[in-house]
Amino acid sequence: MRTSRFRRGLALFWWLIVAFLYLPLAVIVFYSFNAANSAAYFAGFSLRWYQRLAHNDQLLGALSNSLILGIASSLIALIVGTLIGYGLYRHRARRLGWLIVLIYLPIVMPDIVFGISEMTFFVTLERHFGVLGPSLLTMIIAHVTFQLPFVALIVYSRFVGLDPTLFEAAKDLYASPWQRARHFLLPTLKPSLIAAFFLSFTLSVDDFVISFFTAGPENATLPIYIWGAIRRGVSPEINAIATLMIATVMLAAILSLLFNRRDRPGRDS
Amino acid sequence: MAESPFPLAAHSRSISPDTRHLLWSIAPGAIWIVIFLVLPSLYLIGVAFMTNGAYGQPQMPLTLDAFRQLAGFGFLGWSPGNLYTLLRSLWQTVVATGLVILIAYPLAYYISTCREKWRAIMLLAVVVPSWTNQVIRAFGWMNLLSPGTPMAETAQFLGLIPPNMGLYPSNFAVTLGLIYNFLPFMVLPLYAAFEKLDLSLVEAARDLYASPVSAFRHAVFPQTLAGLLAGTVLVSIPAFGMYVVPELLGGGRAMMLGNLVANQFAGGSNWPLGAAGALIMLLATLGGLYAMRKVGKRLGGGEEVVI
Amino acid sequence: MPTTTITKSLFVALAGGLLAGPVSAQEENKLYLFNWTEYMDPAVIQAFEDQYDVEVVESYYNSLPEMTAKLNAGGVSQYDIIVPSNYYVPRLIQSGLVQPLDKSKLSNLDNVMTEFADPAYDPGAQYSVPYQWGTSGIVYDTDTFPDAPKSWSLLFDSDVNPDQPFALMGDGQVTMGAACAYLGNGYDCDDPEAWQAAARLLLDTKHRATFSGFTDGTPVLQQIQRGVVRAGVSYNGDYLQQKQENPEAFEHIAFMIPDEGTEMWVDTMMIPAEAPHPTLAHQFIDFVLDAEIGAQLSNYIYYASPNRAAQPMLDTVLTEPPVLPTDSDRARLAFTPSLDGQNLQHFQQLWSEVQSR
Repeated sequence: MRTSRFRRGLALFWWLIVAFLYLPLAVIVFYSFNAANSAAYFAGFSLRWYQRLAHNDQLLGALSNSLILGIASSLIALIVGTLIGYGLYRHRARRLGWLIVLIYLPIVMPDIVFGISEMTFFVTLERHFGVLGPSLLTMIIAHVTFQLPFVALIVYSRFVGLDPTLFEAAKDLYASPWQRARHFLLPTLKPSLIAAFFLSFTLSVDDFVISFFTAGPENATLPIYIWGAIRRGVSPEINAIATLMIATVMLAAILSLLFNRRDRPGRDS
Repeated sequence: MAESPFPLAAHSRSISPDTRHLLWSIAPGAIWIVIFLVLPSLYLIGVAFMTNGAYGQPQMPLTLDAFRQLAGFGFLGWSPGNLYTLLRSLWQTVVATGLVILIAYPLAYYISTCREKWRAIMLLAVVVPSWTNQVIRAFGWMNLLSPGTPMAETAQFLGLIPPNMGLYPSNFAVTLGLIYNFLPFMVLPLYAAFEKLDLSLVEAARDLYASPVSAFRHAVFPQTLAGLLAGTVLVSIPAFGMYVVPELLGGGRAMMLGNLVANQFAGGSNWPLGAAGALIMLLATLGGLYAMRKVGKRLGGGEEVVI
Repeated sequence: MPTTTITKSLFVALAGGLLAGPVSAQEENKLYLFNWTEYMDPAVIQAFEDQYDVEVVESYYNSLPEMTAKLNAGGVSQYDIIVPSNYYVPRLIQSGLVQPLDKSKLSNLDNVMTEFADPAYDPGAQYSVPYQWGTSGIVYDTDTFPDAPKSWSLLFDSDVNPDQPFALMGDGQVTMGAACAYLGNGYDCDDPEAWQAAARLLLDTKHRATFSGFTDGTPVLQQIQRGVVRAGVSYNGDYLQQKQENPEAFEHIAFMIPDEGTEMWVDTMMIPAEAPHPTLAHQFIDFVLDAEIGAQLSNYIYYASPNRAAQPMLDTVLTEPPVLPTDSDRARLAFTPSLDGQNLQHFQQLWSEVQSR
């Protein structure tokens, strides 16, 4: 039948795209075990680039910067963003178009514009008022700014997926808003809060441009370090670091899949 | 419920508890974005109208010099370099967005027709590469496309590139990098559209129109238009301002607006000129947001503009 | 109202964080060194840290524009030492980004060679102390170019190099100077006419199919090792350092000073205008000026030392080419001109034109 041929074609296309998506990552992983310093030939299996990493203090410093930045910014974004998501849902009947635009602004704005406007702003503040010079703090502020919308949208869409009568039931069940928050809202939101935290964290670790422009001398993150290493041209070690990051992401993906399976029998996005 | 366009002015008498709730939940985040993104952007716009100091710091008097320079007028008369950069950015954006649509459309459709338990995994498979850092992704392509690699040698054999060369750095590598970066941004909204597709309409269209092409055009395509446009905004605006990909994969021959802007802050030191370039990108951003709102309102019934 | 209290306490916490941030941002016993990549001996840093009981925080740049940009973007109050080259010294002084040195704190200043003690780029050496000096030249693959001419034509002439990938340096002034030299106008050309001719040559060169990009001096050595390019522009000491580290990979890679002339540079140590730890910065400069430390540093990074007292302790490899050029080559070297005012604007317009077309 024609449709089945059509479907087989689509399936083939799907696998081609999957190959396209994973080939560059696979190449990095592959060459990270290359004994030779080359992307053109494979000279045998070796762990020498990984051994070099273990003694690289700068790299370890960058790793801890990335972790601190990621966790601190994600936590702040989680709190503030959840509030927005809840507010958006509770007041969805109002015309909040201006708010939607505000929330979409950080998502859509090219990160180069984002980064340099934060940088010029902070530098000027520091020059005139002596506060907010480039540091880990400015990086955290900038990261929270682009994480907020994602948290808000995840929380919002979780609420939208709920049965509205649940809210009424909760109102009858628990007298005070505080109890309601503790016994109804938080448990209901838990999966999406976890998802939002991990997405924020991923976004933070993933960001290069904004961190690059808001960082002080001591705040190089992993991506900034890798960028510097690429610019310096020391490739084989980059393969090894990148492989570790790719492995982490894959692990996170598998975990999130398992989480989804267990926590959400029904369908929602 | 209040129908005021601006909630702060909802009631003239006093603030209702409902409005107070709205303020407390939304104000922290809204204020955060205003202080740490809207204000800095406004300040950047201001810098675009300042004078470039002798060594690259912005100074008073206000002038339009930066825009003149951006248009190509300098000490030595007019030169087309910046125009090239602008056109190249537009061209790359259009080509990359177009190709992303061509790839994402069938892909999203295919995912939406697979069995439910596979869909989450398939979507995840599309999204996961974008969780790795964009610097790493570009680096992966550098590995794949450099001279001596199978892909480069194939291209040499086919006569696409001169011998001894790699496929990177080149404009081609930049297009590839852009597609790779932004594909998930198109697949997700399109998938959402396909998932909501009203199949009874499609069935009816099949009966109504003879050819599958016109059935698609009349029944399927209009239903996915909202997702398509959302995806286009999410892909084209960041692509237009891309910095990392042209920098790493372009090798100096594929400079885009993002690089022109960044160079003024990370090298050339002409903040007003950089800010003027950023202003163009800001306008593109706002235009995109506006378009998305319009489309969302018309097609999504006003409520769900969410990705 | 629970949300109210949460939000309130959040605001309080954030406000506290904002105010506390800058105070704790930089500690007393740290020295912030902003240096070229691969340009320091870790043992020297270790020795300084031990002697003064401080921590040295190193950050790196690949080019001088990159360094200046970081200074402008707040770095002026964050770094204690920067290491700019001669042609950036005047513009850093004039733009107020650096502070004059307190020579009473530099007991080893007499160790500086007389020819570096009163340089044209910093009359009276009020602001700068020389760090190392060297040359920029062509690195190329001798297997690919067995009969390479001692000339910039290896890069600029498509008859000499018709089909091999090559790179030019990312620092516009060096690349323009090289083009000027090839055209016979001298490496240190600085008039708009010569520059325009150079810019045209660069545009033609850039559009040749075998041009692989603008790559700075240190990374190009990696690219040439991996065969990504077969010729590029780099620095003599970086070349030698990598060669010592990886002799078999560099067996067929050579460094050459083109006959049309090229750059001689002096890198200097300077203190940014609002450096957080100026006293420590002076101590560091004096530490590097020490005879033994100076020799140790040069022996590690393979550059020529401007330190007279260190000369007897230098390895022999540092007393012969390519570190010390032959007399005939030395006559071909010139400083990169320091640009300001209109000249700088001219140059920037031409260079951005080269980059963007």
